[in-house]
Amino acid sequence: MNDTEVTQIWRTLEPSGRQRARIEDRVFDWIEARETSLATEWLNLIRTDPLPGLGFAAMAAVSLLMLTPLGWLASSVLR
Amino acid sequence: MGTALALAIAATPTADGTLAGLFKALTSRLGGDAEPLEEPAVQRLVERARAGDRDAAQRLYRQQVDRVFRTVRGVLRSDAEAEDVTQDAMLAVLTSLDRYTPREDARFAAWVASVAVNTARRRFRRRRPELTATGELPDVPDESAPPEREVDTAREREALLRALADLAPAEREMISLRYGAELTASEIAKLVKLEPANVRKILERTRERLGARIEELLQRTGTNL
Repeated sequence: MNDTEVTQIWRTLEPSGRQRARIEDRVFDWIEARETSLATEWLNLIRTDPLPGLGFAAMAAVSLLMLTPLGWLASSVLR
Repeated sequence: MGTALALAIAATPTADGTLAGLFKALTSRLGGDAEPLEEPAVQRLVERARAGDRDAAQRLYRQQVDRVFRTVRGVLRSDAEAEDVTQDAMLAVLTSLDRYTPREDARFAAWVASVAVNTARRRFRRRRPELTATGELPDVPDESAPPEREVDTAREREALLRALADLAPAEREMISLRYGAELTASEIAKLVKLEPANVRKILERTRERLGARIEELLQRTGTNL
């Protein structure tokens, strides 16, 4: 088998259309998520589904506040 | 081909239903930028992508993704692993463009291949898999190809994967860089830290063994190349 024949048979390892689409979606979704701030994500959530979105955003904000050292500090000062 | 393409587009749900979504779906199924670009054009895309141009990043991605998949598929044991590693490698490439330094003696593709191989190596270290390649059939058949050709392609793919499984990991890596990433012996030599002459010898020897094994396997299944 010569160089060209091996090159040709290696082409059978190309990703399928479905695999290609899946990889591309995951890569660009990740990049998009990295570029979007948490506040923007929450605003989008509220805009799409106002009532549950507001609830989820409030819960997330409270969790974030309570589970960080800054939150503990603030709560202990308030007590 | 036209009908198959139209069906593929029609069957593709686009998240936003826009023309951009449709274009994305179409290019994904066609393999992105089908026409490989010359190195200066690739370098211009890198510059634009570094400056935050999203289209340039996407074009750069589509220029490289199939090559990365072909390279890591030759090294790894399954399509699923190759898919994960391709995804991680392409993410690393797109988010580390600032760290890439263009060099006269190495193409951008060589840097991408080094990222891909390092990502695959990390996976080895984590999982220590038994690198037996299984001849999995492609999960989406190419609708434009006649069924006989499809069967032949699947057999060739299976024979290649089985033949690759017989090679030592270092040989598999080098041969994947040669035929998957389409790097030259000098580019591979830099990645594996060997002399180009040694790499040429190893590649020649490995290609002969691989070719003989593939032919043997294909004869057993009655496929002619």
